[in-house]
Amino acid sequence: MQEEPRPYPQPDRDSAPFWEAQRRHELLFRRCNGCGAFRYPMTLLCLNCRSFDFEWAASAGRGIVFSYTVVHHQTHPAFSVPYTMLLVEMEEGPRVVAQLRAPDGTAVSIGMPVHVEWEDHPDQPLPVFVPGRL
Amino acid sequence: MTTIRNKTAIAGIGQTEFSKDSGRSTLRMALEVILESLADAGLEPRDIDGIVRMSANDDVFEIDLLRSLDLPNLRFFAEIPHGGGAACGTIACATAAITAGMADVVVTFRSLNERSERRFGLSNLAGGLGGWMQYYLPHGLVTPAQWVAIFAQRYLYEFGHTTEEFGWVSVLCRKHAATNPHAMMYGRPITLEQHQASRWIAEPLRLLDCTLDTDGACAAIVVSAEKAKTLRATPVYIAAAAKGTGSRTEMMTSYQRASLVRLEEAEATARELYRVAEMTPRDIGMAQIYDHFTPFVLMALEAYGFAAPGEAPHLLREGRLELDGSMPMNTHGGHLGEGYLHGFGHIVEGVRQLRATAVNQVAGISNCIVTSGTGVPTSGLILSKEAY
Repeated sequence: MQEEPRPYPQPDRDSAPFWEAQRRHELLFRRCNGCGAFRYPMTLLCLNCRSFDFEWAASAGRGIVFSYTVVHHQTHPAFSVPYTMLLVEMEEGPRVVAQLRAPDGTAVSIGMPVHVEWEDHPDQPLPVFVPGRL
Repeated sequence: MTTIRNKTAIAGIGQTEFSKDSGRSTLRMALEVILESLADAGLEPRDIDGIVRMSANDDVFEIDLLRSLDLPNLRFFAEIPHGGGAACGTIACATAAITAGMADVVVTFRSLNERSERRFGLSNLAGGLGGWMQYYLPHGLVTPAQWVAIFAQRYLYEFGHTTEEFGWVSVLCRKHAATNPHAMMYGRPITLEQHQASRWIAEPLRLLDCTLDTDGACAAIVVSAEKAKTLRATPVYIAAAAKGTGSRTEMMTSYQRASLVRLEEAEATARELYRVAEMTPRDIGMAQIYDHFTPFVLMALEAYGFAAPGEAPHLLREGRLELDGSMPMNTHGGHLGEGYLHGFGHIVEGVRQLRATAVNQVAGISNCIVTSGTGVPTSGLILSKEAY
């Protein structure tokens, strides 16, 4: 299928490793070397212990739907409607936005378990969420 | 402790017509409303020594006004960030400058061709794909309605409401706009059934939950309370002006914070407003609440203390926000009915109501709370008829 180009991210110094890992189909968080807490990728300084020190750690890819929206009004040519955007609370703690991939008519609800799968797009592989536990 | 309570006042206002196509530049409209607000106050351009502007989508800068108006005495200028969160913040900044002795006559304004030129409601890629937006835009979460829908779904889930509760906000604003000749939706009230029948934009938001991209401009002149008493227009005093922030903040996508059904920025703004004004929510007689999307109006009413969490729909159900209610809301029709000037129309309406010159005039009010953008670092005002 011919795909309209998505708005691809412009990685910066802080986010480049995050996006490089997605090319290997890995969803990374920052894990604090001070207290072990996971940080959302853009959080540089640990909110628990104020440590900058961290290592990139791959998510297990499991979470539950924290909220969602079904988009019906198309505003960008790359995103054909309808599609479902999920906000998923990952087991590690951070909440991640990605699309739902499920057969038409799949009911989505808050609290539903989902897991990460990967879709390859021309310039940037992206995670999607699939219903069910990994 | 000294506060800014009633130390400053709004001494002049201006507003263009609101439309889908202004037919002129944002600079032209900014100049029109600034001259109108100066005339309202009985001042001249040379009296202006301060300018506070809003960022994002507004491309009229101090330098354009300097070139166009010739302002030999300009000595203070500032820009307040975060889009619609800044509207009341411009007045707060003007108040800070005036009470610090750094300016005497400060112009604040908003001028937008947001319908005919740059539509904010379409895929919002203007800021590029760096920063926090790189985590959302590539997935297809690309518009303000979609960002807000994530919060709205959570509000329905946590409090067991239906989308009818959102609809009541829209019905109220359209009712007030219907009798406001200035409003985009003049003469066009809606019913709850029409709201429920309108098409989905991003569930749980329908078309009639979303504001209207609008062309137009507004301005307000801020001076000291003493100076305001010497000017042409009836002063409207600034009993309090404040800005507020929250935890783990992003522009419209603060999804990492503990609760998605509390507007932390508005709660912080509310605490400061009531402290400075020496008021409680029970003292407030009228509210102009920022309404780009209906769910955030409900959450804002809760954040500013007018209802417990999840209970703002009762205010609408009981008619308390109608023109004859205990705290009339968005008497001009708000963004949903009058037009979307990123919160500046709400300030101008608050001033008109306290001057008793509004089209939907409410009798006997002594103060009005005005709130700015939700989902972003925000700001608010308590305007007062008297310098108590």
